[in-house]
Amino acid sequence: MENNPKNSRREFIRKGSRISLLLTLGAVGGFSARNITHEKYVWQIDPFKCTQCGRCATSCVMTPSAVKCLHAYDLCGYCDLCGGYLKPDPNKLSTAAENQLCPTSAIQRKYIEEPYFEYVINEDLCIGCAKCVKGCTSFGNGSLHLQIIHRICLNCNECSIARLCPSDAISRVRASKPYLVKGSFTNDAKG
Amino acid sequence: MKNWIKLTLIFTLLFYSLAGVAQQQRFPKPEFGTGYHQPTPVTPEPRALVLEYSDVVILLIVLSLASWLALRKRSRKGMLWLSVFTLLYFGFYRNGCICAIGSVQNVALTIFDPGYAISITTLLFFLLPLVFTLYFGRTFCAGACPLGAIQDLLIIKPLSFPDWLRKTLGLLPYLYLSLAVLFAATGTDFIICRYDPFVGIFRMDAPFHMVILGIAFLLMGMFVARPYCRFLCPYGVLLNWMSRFSKWHLAITPAACIQCKLCSDSCPFDAIDYPTDEKQIKNRIWGVNRFLFYALLIPIWILVGGYTGSKAHTWISKANSKVYLAELLITKPEVRNDDKNLDVQAFLSSGKSMETLVNEASVIRHKFYIGCWIAGGFMGLVIGMTLLSQVIYRRKEDYQPDKGNCYSCVRCISYCPVKK
Amino acid sequence: MENDAKLKLFLNIALVSGIFCLTVALLLLLNYMQMTKNKPLESKALTSLVKQLSQEPNSDELKQEIRDFDLLARKAYFNSQWQVKTGGYLLLFGAIVLAFALRVIIGLRSKIEEPDILDSNEMVGRLLTQRWVLLTGAILVILGLVASYASVDHLREYSVNDSSPNLKIADNRDKIEVIQVGQAPTVADSAKTSSVKPTVSLGSSLPVKVTQAPAVKVSFPGLAEIKSNVPSFRGPFGNGVFYQKETPVSWDAASGKNVIWKTPVPLKGYNSPIIWGTKLFLSGADNHSREVYCYERNTGKILWKQPVDKIKGSPEAAPKVTEDTGYSAPSLTTDGNRVYAMFATGDIICFDMDGNRIWARNLGVPDNHYGHASSLMMLKDKLFVQYDTNKSRKLIGLKASTGQTAWETQRKGKISWASPILAEINGKYQVVLSTDPMVAGYDADSGKELWSLNCMMGEVGPSPAFGSGLIFAANEYAKLVAIDPVKNVKVWESDEYMPEVASPVTANGLLFIATSYGVIACYDAKSGQKYWVKEDGTGFYSSPVIVDNKLYTFNTAGKMKVFEVGKTEKILGEGDAAEKVTTTPAFKDGRMYLRTPKFIYCIGKK
Repeated sequence: MENNPKNSRREFIRKGSRISLLLTLGAVGGFSARNITHEKYVWQIDPFKCTQCGRCATSCVMTPSAVKCLHAYDLCGYCDLCGGYLKPDPNKLSTAAENQLCPTSAIQRKYIEEPYFEYVINEDLCIGCAKCVKGCTSFGNGSLHLQIIHRICLNCNECSIARLCPSDAISRVRASKPYLVKGSFTNDAKG
Repeated sequence: MKNWIKLTLIFTLLFYSLAGVAQQQRFPKPEFGTGYHQPTPVTPEPRALVLEYSDVVILLIVLSLASWLALRKRSRKGMLWLSVFTLLYFGFYRNGCICAIGSVQNVALTIFDPGYAISITTLLFFLLPLVFTLYFGRTFCAGACPLGAIQDLLIIKPLSFPDWLRKTLGLLPYLYLSLAVLFAATGTDFIICRYDPFVGIFRMDAPFHMVILGIAFLLMGMFVARPYCRFLCPYGVLLNWMSRFSKWHLAITPAACIQCKLCSDSCPFDAIDYPTDEKQIKNRIWGVNRFLFYALLIPIWILVGGYTGSKAHTWISKANSKVYLAELLITKPEVRNDDKNLDVQAFLSSGKSMETLVNEASVIRHKFYIGCWIAGGFMGLVIGMTLLSQVIYRRKEDYQPDKGNCYSCVRCISYCPVKK
Repeated sequence: MENDAKLKLFLNIALVSGIFCLTVALLLLLNYMQMTKNKPLESKALTSLVKQLSQEPNSDELKQEIRDFDLLARKAYFNSQWQVKTGGYLLLFGAIVLAFALRVIIGLRSKIEEPDILDSNEMVGRLLTQRWVLLTGAILVILGLVASYASVDHLREYSVNDSSPNLKIADNRDKIEVIQVGQAPTVADSAKTSSVKPTVSLGSSLPVKVTQAPAVKVSFPGLAEIKSNVPSFRGPFGNGVFYQKETPVSWDAASGKNVIWKTPVPLKGYNSPIIWGTKLFLSGADNHSREVYCYERNTGKILWKQPVDKIKGSPEAAPKVTEDTGYSAPSLTTDGNRVYAMFATGDIICFDMDGNRIWARNLGVPDNHYGHASSLMMLKDKLFVQYDTNKSRKLIGLKASTGQTAWETQRKGKISWASPILAEINGKYQVVLSTDPMVAGYDADSGKELWSLNCMMGEVGPSPAFGSGLIFAANEYAKLVAIDPVKNVKVWESDEYMPEVASPVTANGLLFIATSYGVIACYDAKSGQKYWVKEDGTGFYSSPVIVDNKLYTFNTAGKMKVFEVGKTEKILGEGDAAEKVTTTPAFKDGRMYLRTPKFIYCIGKK
């Protein structure tokens, strides 16, 4: 059987095909490798591009979303009348449910000194709906902003929020700098 | 008077800050009299890069182990437990991402979009299984693919399909592959990831329709063995090509086949080739003429396919969000007043001109035009080649795995009475 | 027998786990349906309760109800999340047990069977395959073609209805008759009555598209003509000095004293009126639309009103600007033949005196955190645009006839909100700009920088002024400086009073400053010696201007004070617009024209 010319011809063709397939794979691999990255990339939101549309809460593959609100305390005005904490035209500047903007009551308001209040986000309750971010950005300093929390994020091959983000605010960033936190990251710093 | 000027200076300063320069604050941070310490926001680090590399190493180990189990150890039990490990690790622990199937899109995107850098782990996830298949057959499908594993473990009573149905449904992966590459290359979408029916199960979290799809696939998989692998998987197309020419491949019998036919029903995927019936070959209806006819038809298939694809590019390109938005704004200018349409509102507030958007959309559409020509031509080629393969006869003497379609799951081996 | 017992056991396990899975799945489905129906976090009932509360803010009952409801909604949401998670794991567990049991059952039941007889006729199978593959191919082709005929490429329907056809015909540089500005003009002074020369019938009868290019002669206005009109922001050459006589020194908007007419301006704008002959031009804009207005100067009637739209490259929505800058802060300019306007969107447009659109283009949306504010200026065939953005600073010279860029000078320094002025230095005209950190002069023909002196700071608002051979520039928190543009040196400086918005003005060897904290100061232009200081209660945004040896000032409250241009403070008259005034008035033929947030006033002796 080893000497069967038909079989050896078949074997020859197979060998040739195998080598050409291997070369093709090498070519595809090599061509892809021309802009290969050894660094890991993760998804993150550029808070300056974000338009607070609220899709982060609903589009993430995780429920609740991997997107949470972060608070840049350095930018916070510690206002009594906080656009991120209170509903527009609040009944009273208090922590009562009828005045709170957050649907899950994830922001804690703490009195510091007259007339300043500290606002702390409870990440476990936050669903990333961006209601507070919208309020803070429109009426305040914009210290509240959304970020993808990497403890929760699965780093999907294609981020389903990025695909649906109307303002293209979500992009891959280097894993060595996985957050675009306001304060340390400014609009100018983007260059 | 100086005092007064100072006051007004302060006022004007305030005014400046109120005027709202992006970087300036409307309400400056107060200076606290009490010893207030501000908390720092918690920003947990992402999964370390080392772990990504360890994923590649684990893939390499699993692939080697699967190949060893299939070709040397010939152990179904070993393969079964390996697939359980794969399901647990790559599936439930790593949430099915990144996987070799999806990496096709990353490779396509990085080839067509120089701005996108593919990570080395993704490229390795794409290449390693293909190279292994080129030498050992599709052992990746048997042991290292979490999607294959979950389906394989749920095969209860597989039904056998006639040849024509398998061949016809077998065109679907080619279609899926060409669309996936087209959408990835144009930067539109990663449809393989988006419509992966099992990833939702791995994550234990998915949109409702994807949960239904996943459960439907699993229920179907009880009777139609590995439905996704056989009739959808785009990566399977590439593996199939590689496996056909693999250097070594799983064999049903360790020695000479005694033609006992015991294994003929053992494969749930109908991937065992039977010995050719000499009588039938002699009585074949179609001779060289039909072969030549089909061979000459191939360029026509390619042209027709490409033409059809190019004709359909307008429709297909509407899947791109930018094209969709531009067309929406052109055909329905009144959506500009629709506050609920987030995409339109975000575009309007971006300050971009309509013209720029239309130009960008036109560029994308043109990419689709070229891509659809290629994808259509490819589909034409596939159909032409499938037809051609139907009039080619290759003499087979033994019961052997159909190398292109065999997943090297090692089921058939236990049916073979020949030991050593 | 043992096998049978085992089979029975696993059958039972399969049954139980099957029922379990089904129940959990049904519960999950129920939960899902409930959640999608009720959406506890977006509860409409809660929203309506809150709305009700805003009407009766003191109802404690209502408050309690909201609090209870809110707690309930949040509980429902988090409970459901917990249920989904737990249910998911239970289902997974059940499915594993079920699958395992089923496999065992199938394994136990399976017997070694005689293999099926092979498909007897392979040929039939192959024929069937060919047919089905062909059919699939045909279906795919048909689907593709149907899709192609059913879908329309809407992108092709889009076209910018721009005025580019006009660009071509309007370009007749060769035929332009050049008249030296600065020499005594040969053009008759009759321009006062009819400013549109017959040779400039170019645009007046132009339909939107013109196929043939009429031979057109465009003549530039002479110096006397420019001086007798208000061709740009702060009068001729933007210098704040008007060559008019017998202007009114008192008026009152409330009582109507000396108000000849007042007409509302449709859209808001902080640009100041410009005048040529009997026509007065303004622009207005909001974030949706932009318009240019032409008023009859004697009656106050709107002669025409043209939209500024369908411009190639114009952004779909206006960029963000601050309320006190708006979308049409830049004032217009005219050469008596055409009128030019610019907006915060980067749109720049040219009309003839009858409102026919000649050309329009978009220079790119200015990245400007307050909004583009620099006014237009022109000389002969050039239109000067101080195109300052956060990204780049440019002085652009546009061909007035076509809008094409003649030259573009990149400028150093930071973004500025001041406006260009024209200064005749050594017999040649220069465009002078004030920016952080420098005041600089550019050749009006080529745009080349001729001199530049670092002396400014901050976000510069006030435009420079030219007089006594010196350039004066100032800005709040910076300095007031007098520069000799020939020697490129600082002659004197002061940091006592500095304007924030209002520009300095000079005449008769005196320099006047009006600050945003309400101080008017008079200096000697040559030496910088301070003559007098007047403290007004309210600040000045409107630039002070000099007409007929009178200094006109408007504070932001709308109070007008007219001072004598002299070394001692002397008030000649007062007026009141009874409205906020931030724009600069224009003067022509003994009348004053003033724009307030809502109206345009004509003030003079009736």
